[in-house]
Amino acid sequence: MKQKIGVYICQCGSNISDYVNVEEVAAQAEKIEGVALAKTTMFACADSTQKEIEEDIKSRQLDAIVVASCSPKLHLFTFRNVAIRAGLNPFNYVQVNVREQCSWAHSNNPKQATEKAIHLVIAGIERVKHSKALPAIKISADNAVLVVGAGVSGMRAAIELAKMGTEVVLIEKNHFVGGRVSQWNKLFITDETGQEVVARLYQEVKNHNKIKLFTGTELISKSGGVGNFDIQIQFTPRYVLTTCKPDWEKIQKAISLCPIEVDDDFNFGLTKRKAIYKNFPSELPHIPAIDIVNCNKCGECVKVCEEVDLEQQVEKLNFRVGAILLTTGADSYEPKKGEFAYQEIDNVITLQQFKRLIEISGKELLYHGKKIRNIAFIYCVGSRQQDGENKYCSRYCCTSVIHSAILVKEKYEGIFNFHFTRGVRTYGKQEILYNKAAKQGDIFLQSFEDSPTEVTSENGKTIVKINDILTANMEIEVEADLVVLVTGMVPRENTAISSLLKIPIGRDKFYNEVHPKLRPVETVIDGILIAGTCQSPKTIMESVNSALSAAAKANSLLRTGEIELEPTLAVIDKETCDWCDACAAVCPYDAIEKSEVNGKFVAQIAKANCKGCGMCLPVCPVNAIQLDGYTDVEMEGMISALVS
Amino acid sequence: MATINPGFATELKKYGALDFNKCYNCGNCTAVCSLSTGDNSFPREMIRFSVLGLEREIQKSTTPWLCYYCGECSATCPQQTDPGELMMSLRRYLTSKYDWTGLGAKLYTSKLWEFGTIAFLALVVLFLFVFFHGPMTNELTADGGVMLNTFAPWQQIEIGDLLMGGFLAFFLMSNIFNMYLKIIGSQKDLKIPFKLYFSEFWKLIVHFGTQREFSKCDTKLEQKKPALNTYWVVHWFLMSSYVIMFVMIVAFLGWFQTDNIYAWFHPQRILGYYATVGLTIGIVYFFVQRIKKSAQKSKHSHVTDWTFLVLLFLTTISGILVHVFRLNGMPQPTYYMYVFHLMALVPMLMIEVPFSKWSHLAYRPFAIYFNKIIVAAKKSK
Ligand SMILES: Cc1cc2nc3c(=O)[nH]c(=O)nc-3n(C[C@H](O)[C@H](O)[C@H](O)COP(=O)(O)OP(=O)(O)OC[C@H]3O[C@@H](n4cnc5c(N)ncnc54)[C@H](O)[C@@H]3O)c2cc1C
Ligand code: SF4
Ligand code: SF4
Repeated sequence: MKQKIGVYICQCGSNISDYVNVEEVAAQAEKIEGVALAKTTMFACADSTQKEIEEDIKSRQLDAIVVASCSPKLHLFTFRNVAIRAGLNPFNYVQVNVREQCSWAHSNNPKQATEKAIHLVIAGIERVKHSKALPAIKISADNAVLVVGAGVSGMRAAIELAKMGTEVVLIEKNHFVGGRVSQWNKLFITDETGQEVVARLYQEVKNHNKIKLFTGTELISKSGGVGNFDIQIQFTPRYVLTTCKPDWEKIQKAISLCPIEVDDDFNFGLTKRKAIYKNFPSELPHIPAIDIVNCNKCGECVKVCEEVDLEQQVEKLNFRVGAILLTTGADSYEPKKGEFAYQEIDNVITLQQFKRLIEISGKELLYHGKKIRNIAFIYCVGSRQQDGENKYCSRYCCTSVIHSAILVKEKYEGIFNFHFTRGVRTYGKQEILYNKAAKQGDIFLQSFEDSPTEVTSENGKTIVKINDILTANMEIEVEADLVVLVTGMVPRENTAISSLLKIPIGRDKFYNEVHPKLRPVETVIDGILIAGTCQSPKTIMESVNSALSAAAKANSLLRTGEIELEPTLAVIDKETCDWCDACAAVCPYDAIEKSEVNGKFVAQIAKANCKGCGMCLPVCPVNAIQLDGYTDVEMEGMISALVS
Repeated sequence: MATINPGFATELKKYGALDFNKCYNCGNCTAVCSLSTGDNSFPREMIRFSVLGLEREIQKSTTPWLCYYCGECSATCPQQTDPGELMMSLRRYLTSKYDWTGLGAKLYTSKLWEFGTIAFLALVVLFLFVFFHGPMTNELTADGGVMLNTFAPWQQIEIGDLLMGGFLAFFLMSNIFNMYLKIIGSQKDLKIPFKLYFSEFWKLIVHFGTQREFSKCDTKLEQKKPALNTYWVVHWFLMSSYVIMFVMIVAFLGWFQTDNIYAWFHPQRILGYYATVGLTIGIVYFFVQRIKKSAQKSKHSHVTDWTFLVLLFLTTISGILVHVFRLNGMPQPTYYMYVFHLMALVPMLMIEVPFSKWSHLAYRPFAIYFNKIIVAAKKSK
């Protein structure tokens, strides 16, 4: 029990004192047993006041303090630091919010605002009275990071981490690196090709001895917590020796001999590929791979390419890392059958298919043998859905489609582009492309979400119709040779890894950060970070920005080899606990383990994982769990003060 | 329902349109336009129709004629699409579409046709004179003037004049009728009470006579009141001079083309001088404007703009010289100059009046007239 409590009531200029009678609050606080002093102050957070509190703690030998001011979100750490500087344990300090909760919320009733403030302050005093000094918790940490996904985000983060001295395990599910970017040829807004960008990153990854890259690899298990994750990865072999010299002619021969043909995912089903494949000659790593799920092991390829080894085995490896960075990327939205006549009218394709189509077409732009002149682009397919699930804007697509429209016109003569938009969002520098497209004669139309563009087939012609709000809602149509659905981004199907790591998933089904503005690359699970398009739709620049920020965040967390944790953790009373599993079942952070103490099974808290969320407390049938900083005595003291 | 015609932009560019595809529909042009109103909103709507290539909508619209190219829109457009020049090119386009013969389109879009036709008509005039001219006598009248009517008797010239007048009237009137069909005839859903044709008629006269909308250019948005601006004054001076001259030579040639030398205050001379001064000032002013390119509306000149000015200039200057030579008793120069005068005058009238730039003098007031009828009919509904 604290005996010498200092209480400070802040006026916040006049923000608080205009509605809350701060003198009255101080007078009431002073009457409470154990309060040594109660003061009002103009600005509690001002340097001079902070110094004054420090002085008071020292000179009056205060053993606890309460500051009644604004939200702890704003100044909790300010006053904890005051306590530390004055030699007081920071957990013997309690902040009471009398601004947002009293003066601002009840500005119409100053009398009751004051009354509420008095109750809250007394409750704070009761809590601090029972507070314990909590020791800082430090754990050792491995300066190593697992990066999942070798797209641009993953590779860029890996390079930066390695440069800062962090060991990196970079794993990629596919046999080739680069993710989506390797599929797009020329990129907005620099017109470099995706292949060039990927090749540059890959070279840097390969050159750095701190990065271990594994392709065809996935994470299969994880235990431990921030600083010390024990992970196991598994890789499916390429079935081609890594010593293979990339002799493209030989590889091509092997590919041509392979009797298996499957839909080519890389070209989004526009073409077929063989079971032994390489999506394009300069794809990295240079060695081709065998898609073992479809391969029937006939051995045709072995005849011309002795490097093929169909006997390679699946392998597993263990690592310990301090943090995990997810850069698993996103998928393109797959329209439903009949959505803008997709899969009903033959010449309706998606943007990603269109990008591949321009790339793989020769002298003429043909689709199913028909020459393409009029192209209609329908925007926001799978994004900004009023009634559907994807409410968000996918950000990249307006620019990408406009860029593609420019490219197709540069590459082929006689093309007319028609953009059926819902308002063009080529933000920032990307506006230049919009201007260029308009200038080259592309026609932009716009409709509202409640009257979408229609695609119909009339006498074998594909007609695209819109009520164009830029032409006073006139119904306007065009006959299109090709309809391109500008599909948005959706989260990748990645349940294995997301359930393994228990990654919080947002309403939009992308991985969720702690705070979109203030902590944009961290998840609520300590040590698990996210970057790139697995978090939300992004362009390459935005993906790389977040990747670099995540790299910096991970490095700053791990570089000292030690991590300090918030000591407000669950504590198990080993006497009372009779392992029943109830707490472990509800813990969202995997922080409760079963352990044996003196021949009896009890729950044990993994300190690195526990976030002090308190989920386990109410489910314990024998009340064997206390939360430091929020113990029963503290809470009960507060409740009594509030109801009195 | 309307179908996009993406090729239209290319066609319209032949009529002088610039980079109007860049328009992003902000509407600033319409907002700053001193002449655009709630009933007749432009130019953004016309830009939109042009971008989409909705030719039917453009042809049934009167708004291109309600625009006097004040140029505020072009000066304001953030995309530099030059909406004012687009409206100008739409007027050229419409002129060629009202013309059912198709000649107008040829003259506007092909230099070969434009200059070929001028040369052809000039040669026809020359040919007629070479073979049919009267005696080129050096004898002078009692006043010491040249005997022009001996070389080119007005009775015979008048026959040509009337033939030409009939030709011009026929084509111009039939083009105006075609315009009527396109504009009013396409108003399928609108019942137009017959009496409106009469009640609105005086507006045709007023607008033809005063071109008062022109004067609203460059005025503040709130006060759509006439303001004296040089452009309007000069244009009106030029137009009235032209009309006076036209009436004198077509309807009263016997009175105008006289061998008498009247006193300077005689109406024949006063009217002649008024018209000559008006034409000269107008031509010089517009020449200078188009060369200086300082006003927005003079920044861009289509080849047909120059042709009209040059032909008008040649006609005027040769007319002045004929007058000077005749008064000063210089027979041979008078005859040659007279032939040259007609070689410029005939193509100028034959090409410009029904098929090209001059016709705006008729189309504009008619468009205003048709527009008033439509607006009134809509209101009465
Ligand atoms: C049609 C289209 C055109 C575009 N054009 C442009 C453009 O021109 N310019 C531009 O700036 N942006 C463009 N973008 C956006 C760009 O593609 C993305 O910003 C970029 O791909 C994001 O990179 P990433 O590394 O975050 O994700 P990805 O590129 O998706 O890479 C993720 C990687 O993670 C791997 N992975 C996934 N799950 C696992 C797992 N469980 N284990 C291991 N590995 C896994 C994947 O195989 C993949 O290699 C375009 C997007 C689309 C759809
Ligand atoms: S970027 Fe453009 S096309 Fe994509 S969802 Fe947003 S608005 Fe629609
Ligand atoms: S101001 Fe320019 S961009 Fe804006 S609507 Fe007019 S023409 Fe288009």
